[in-house]
Amino acid sequence: MTTDATLASHLQELRRGTVVVASLTVLRTPGYGYSLLETLSESGFEVEANTLYPLLRRLESQGLLTSSWNTDEARPRKFYTTTAQGNAIADALRTEWARLDEAITDLSTTPVKE
Amino acid sequence: MSANLVDRYVFTALRRVPEQQRADIDRELRASIEDAVDARVEAGEEREAAVETTLLELGDPDRLADSYADRPNYLIGPELYPVWRRSLMMLLTVVLPIVVIVVAVVQVLAEDAGFGEVIGSAIGTIINVGAHMAFWVTLGFWIIERTGAGKDDINRPWTPKDLPRYEPGALTRVQFAANLVWPAVLILALVLQQFTFTEVPLLDPANWNFWWPVLIGLIVLKGLWVFWVYRLGTWTRQVAVVNAIHGVVIGGVILYLLAADKFFNPAFPGFNGVEVDLEGWISVAVMITTGLSIAYEIFDVARKAEQARKGLGVKVPGTGNTYTAS
Repeated sequence: MTTDATLASHLQELRRGTVVVASLTVLRTPGYGYSLLETLSESGFEVEANTLYPLLRRLESQGLLTSSWNTDEARPRKFYTTTAQGNAIADALRTEWARLDEAITDLSTTPVKE
Repeated sequence: MSANLVDRYVFTALRRVPEQQRADIDRELRASIEDAVDARVEAGEEREAAVETTLLELGDPDRLADSYADRPNYLIGPELYPVWRRSLMMLLTVVLPIVVIVVAVVQVLAEDAGFGEVIGSAIGTIINVGAHMAFWVTLGFWIIERTGAGKDDINRPWTPKDLPRYEPGALTRVQFAANLVWPAVLILALVLQQFTFTEVPLLDPANWNFWWPVLIGLIVLKGLWVFWVYRLGTWTRQVAVVNAIHGVVIGGVILYLLAADKFFNPAFPGFNGVEVDLEGWISVAVMITTGLSIAYEIFDVARKAEQARKGLGVKVPGTGNTYTAS
């Protein structure tokens, strides 16, 4: 495996799960699939449509999101909103993220013990 | 044309999505595709090209369907894989050889098959039975993987107790089982040859008054001996001595019967109508094989007992390591 491929696989490993936190956070204001995809990629989350759309349904079946069809516009769209439970989970995940960030920073700044 | 392509894509994906979700996913997926296409057209792409790129990014519809249905895209997952591999290896390396041997023995006794025939059918059995074993085990594990039924039972947590025992002499569970199957097969073959394999039994029916029951009793004793060794967990001098006595007795009985022309059935049609004394030659061959294999067995057990007594290590197969109990 080349260095690039190794790096790519580790990055993928590291990013797995961040999309869930990001989606639950963004959808505190209701949004539909494509809009969320746009928002996420603008904010620097590399996520594929074929990962995101099924993920939204999975989060809905877990009770972290609710959905409703908006047929006011010409194109009917399914809007997702984060539930209270989803918010609580997102909070817990963000806390964990912050803790990990702190821990990694500590590790990389602590001088190596002799 | 482009609408056509979207239809084909959505229908293909929906084929493998559970019924009750289809209508909803249909609407949502179309809306998402159209949103993406519109965005591309606004950015200046041709409509048809935009549809193609959008679908290309969504990727294989079968894969998308798996993702929607939350279906695992593997046959047997990492949780069950080691159990599956162990089960299959056990079947292929222990059970399959036993089946092949039994088939060969039955063929020789029942159909008087020649050497070539036996080899041919052994290869056939290996391929046929092996394929069946691999298929059914995999199917079973696949069902467990998908339904989750009984998953915890077969995938019980590993503990250090599960480590194989390399102590000199200790029979592993597999060896124990194989050593028990062999006497059972012998007794079964002895009884069945009287009734089913051939019209006229191969072995002398007159011996049912005395010698065959004695032989069966001796084989049962061998089975008990195996059980004893397994419980003991090590080869001892007593084990070796008992084995030697048993070997001499059972060997003596078989050799006596063969030498006195009381082993094979003189009325067996396979022996008659040939110029040479077929029964005599076969008797000699069986005498030599029996004598040699019993002598080897006595020697082998004695060697293991000696090794265990001296605390010598045993070779762990396939690694070049030597394990010494301490």
